[in-house]
Amino acid sequence: MKYVTAIGEREYIIEIVDERHILLDGALFEVDFNTVSGQPVYSLLLDGQSYESFVYSGEEGWQVLLHGMLYLASVEDEREKRLRAAAGGNIIERGEVHLRAPMPGLVIAVLVNEGQSVDKGEVLVILESMKMQNELKSPRPGTIARMRVRSGDSVEQRQTLLSVV
Amino acid sequence: MFNKVLIANRGEIAVRIIRACRELGMRTVAVYSEADRQGLHVRYADEAYLLGPAPSRESYLRGDKIIDIARKCGAKAIHPGYGFLAERADFAQDCLDAGLAFIGPKPSSIAAMGDKAVARATVAKAGVPVVPGTEGEGGLSDEELLSVAPEIGFPLLVKATAGGGGKGMREVHNLEEMHSLLHSARREAEASFGDGNVYLEKLVEGARHIEFQILADSHGNVIHLGERECSLQRRHQKLLEESPSPFISDDDEIRQQMGSVAVRAAQAVGYVNTGTIEFLVDKDKNYYFLEMNTRLQVEHPVTEMVTGVDIVKEQIRIARGRQLRYTQENINLNGWAIECRINAEDAYNNFLPSTGQISHSLLPTGPGVRVDTGVYPGFEISPYYDSLISKLIVWGETRAEAILRMRRALEEYKIVGVRTNIPFHQNLMDSHRFMGGQFDTRFVEERFSMEAAEEGKTPRPEIAAIIATLVAHQQTQRAAHIIQRGERDTSNWKWISRWERMQR
Repeated sequence: MKYVTAIGEREYIIEIVDERHILLDGALFEVDFNTVSGQPVYSLLLDGQSYESFVYSGEEGWQVLLHGMLYLASVEDEREKRLRAAAGGNIIERGEVHLRAPMPGLVIAVLVNEGQSVDKGEVLVILESMKMQNELKSPRPGTIARMRVRSGDSVEQRQTLLSVV
Repeated sequence: MFNKVLIANRGEIAVRIIRACRELGMRTVAVYSEADRQGLHVRYADEAYLLGPAPSRESYLRGDKIIDIARKCGAKAIHPGYGFLAERADFAQDCLDAGLAFIGPKPSSIAAMGDKAVARATVAKAGVPVVPGTEGEGGLSDEELLSVAPEIGFPLLVKATAGGGGKGMREVHNLEEMHSLLHSARREAEASFGDGNVYLEKLVEGARHIEFQILADSHGNVIHLGERECSLQRRHQKLLEESPSPFISDDDEIRQQMGSVAVRAAQAVGYVNTGTIEFLVDKDKNYYFLEMNTRLQVEHPVTEMVTGVDIVKEQIRIARGRQLRYTQENINLNGWAIECRINAEDAYNNFLPSTGQISHSLLPTGPGVRVDTGVYPGFEISPYYDSLISKLIVWGETRAEAILRMRRALEEYKIVGVRTNIPFHQNLMDSHRFMGGQFDTRFVEERFSMEAAEEGKTPRPEIAAIIATLVAHQQTQRAAHIIQRGERDTSNWKWISRWERMQR
């Protein structure tokens, strides 16, 4: 199986040869890859070099935490990549983004109104949790639509607070 | 004389106090909220009693219930830990009225130092330098504060009178924004301490936060255990502490000078038990009294590591009326200790708190490493309390060795289930300014970013790419495997007979 994995601007062609071998941009490596007791902690032996890392699956791909650095990786197999190329264009900037509560808490303030246009990084909602006031920011520029909470509301984790279209 | 102690707290500090009691051969009583039934302190204590629902107002802040439990179970002393009821003079008084020993200072000392305005006036009278602010004026109204603010000058700080730990604190740069900041500070103070009073204080720019640990017995002996450097903060929450301070380092003259001023400040309120005098120190080593914390500090372990004094056990001995076992001449700082506060906060997402169940935890161990924690795999990090998961403390012969050891320990430490600020500490340990001791209280917020810290490092994107690909590949294979579950390498009839044989 052949994969195209992108980190930032750089793309790597990684081919899984068999259980013990991979090709990285054509170069053969011996691998031994294990998850540590079924957790998102992984141990990689690559030609005898030992690496340990956290891997999380996020909305924008895989987050790999290695030696105190975070890498965002998108992994596609060749078929997926061809399909996407055929469909054309980038789909991330389209569609709406739902701002969800990252944890249960109390809405202290809603700083925007419906229909208001916002910039990326603009503070939309202040949520109090763990005795701290946390600023929730807009993930991208857009217009505020469908406000679902008011200040004073208690919210559950992952509850949608509002949408940015 | 007591030999059974009720610990009116939760989390790592409750565990820390239980350990001290155990070592002194005392019985321990834990109290817990409905959210903390699984807490380590409940498991480690000899006895444990339910306080009430999860919110602290209905559990850990219920002094009346706590005293009632102590009475019923026969605990003759209460240790308040830090936070919650630790700096409430009325609670300390209620304990004494109920015939219980309060392992902490006298109610009058808590009251004198607890209202920071009174505290500043008191120590100023004893000749201790203080930062300009609304000292000795009690709880002023918004209008009064707004009118006095220009006299103090901007930037200034709004601080909670009953506060600590950065709760109810706001930085104000001009009069226009002051009104709304006052409002939010009062609100947060009310939520955290049940007291919405605030005061103003001039912001000393480029300042370091250096504090002195005090030990005082009931026979009039007061000593200090040297300083702790606490300048690395974010939103006035300490993130990393060390002892000694790299700013003072081998300047023993200023250490003894500040130490004796700290002792004088404690004596000004007739202090007994452990406490901490916080100073702001400017670049010319001018120091100002900031406040006194009349309790055990979160960061007490760094002092324990360099002095060899078990501060919690000393607290209990003092509360039992014993004389201090040390004189000032006995106290020497040996080597260097660093503490990293490991919080359930996502270092890559604006330090947003992270809740959830700790599914896996691998603690760093080995030479010179200490971990104080109250969590373990299976424990739920709830949104009701603060985000401190554990304190990772290392000791080294020199500061350089301590930093290298901390790097090693952080790399070993694995916590799964919630996001943590471990990557932040890893980047801090690699920062040249940190290594050089060149930082003030604004360093983390203004001159440190995760991205910049990572720039100087040798990235290994190809390794990350391989790991991500292998994880994705495994998932695809597993998904395919689930779809094809019916297909086995041998017939289903053979599987059934094998299974039946296994059951016999």
